[in-house]
Amino acid sequence: MFKDLDPILHSQLRLAVISLLISVKEAEFTFLKEKTNSTAGNLSVQINKLKDAGYIEVVKQFKDNYPQTVCKISAKGIEAFEVYVNALKSYMNPGGE
Amino acid sequence: MKEQQFSTEESLQLIGEMIGKAKRSYVSKGIASIVWGVLIIFCSIVTWGQIEFKIDIGFDIWLLLLLALLPQVYFAVKEKRGKKFIGHDEETMHYVWISFTVCIFITSFYNSRWGGESSTTLIMMLYGIPTFITGGIFKFKPMIIGGMTCWVISIFSIYTPFKTDMLLMAACGLFAWLIPGIILWKRYKKQQQVHV
Repeated sequence: MFKDLDPILHSQLRLAVISLLISVKEAEFTFLKEKTNSTAGNLSVQINKLKDAGYIEVVKQFKDNYPQTVCKISAKGIEAFEVYVNALKSYMNPGGE
Repeated sequence: MKEQQFSTEESLQLIGEMIGKAKRSYVSKGIASIVWGVLIIFCSIVTWGQIEFKIDIGFDIWLLLLLALLPQVYFAVKEKRGKKFIGHDEETMHYVWISFTVCIFITSFYNSRWGGESSTTLIMMLYGIPTFITGGIFKFKPMIIGGMTCWVISIFSIYTPFKTDMLLMAACGLFAWLIPGIILWKRYKKQQQVHV
């Protein structure tokens, strides 16, 4: 039987953000924007959704007198990502389980 | 990129693409490696020259390493401030290189106190440790080879006099830092060209 795909992660931009954040310890908003080629507004909305789901931690601070947003994947986010990838694998290889 | 639903194949492709993008962001300019390599080679050859040609330059050439720490720290801080992300392994690497620097300076103080010419073997062995670990963690073969070369050379140095050890130390600087540093610099320039 197919596992349900996490609706929070099964969205292009949110999945891109989580995939980037799982690859680094933490990343600035500008890094995520640059790598995902998204608009600041859309990215901001999706980051808030991931934050509300508890998948990422967001810290707003100042760096050289400029506002800076730093994102970091949480333990819950890592777990959700692993479950999501395993579910994808089961879709790709239904006889594999 | 917009928020939209997509297929499982596209999901896996996107994950791979993003992880690849993050991985390619780990770009070192290699400047620290080049500077350190050049200094080790220079100091070693000057020391060898002083013994070979029986000349005295009037000061300990290895003090240059202390002076070189200042620009190294400056560039490291500057690079860190300009970075938009922190990698998983970066903190580990900082501790490894701090440990190495402390050990090298303790060994140097030991040498100046006891005149330990035989500790060149130990120093070359130490050169190999952070280089090998860095190469291993970042899957960068030139540094893995460089670290191993330092260890082979350090074994060889057990049987050689101090004067020859200085040439061997220059070889360590070449293989452990200068060559990997130049390779990193070339990669960085190549990547810069791709993004222009």
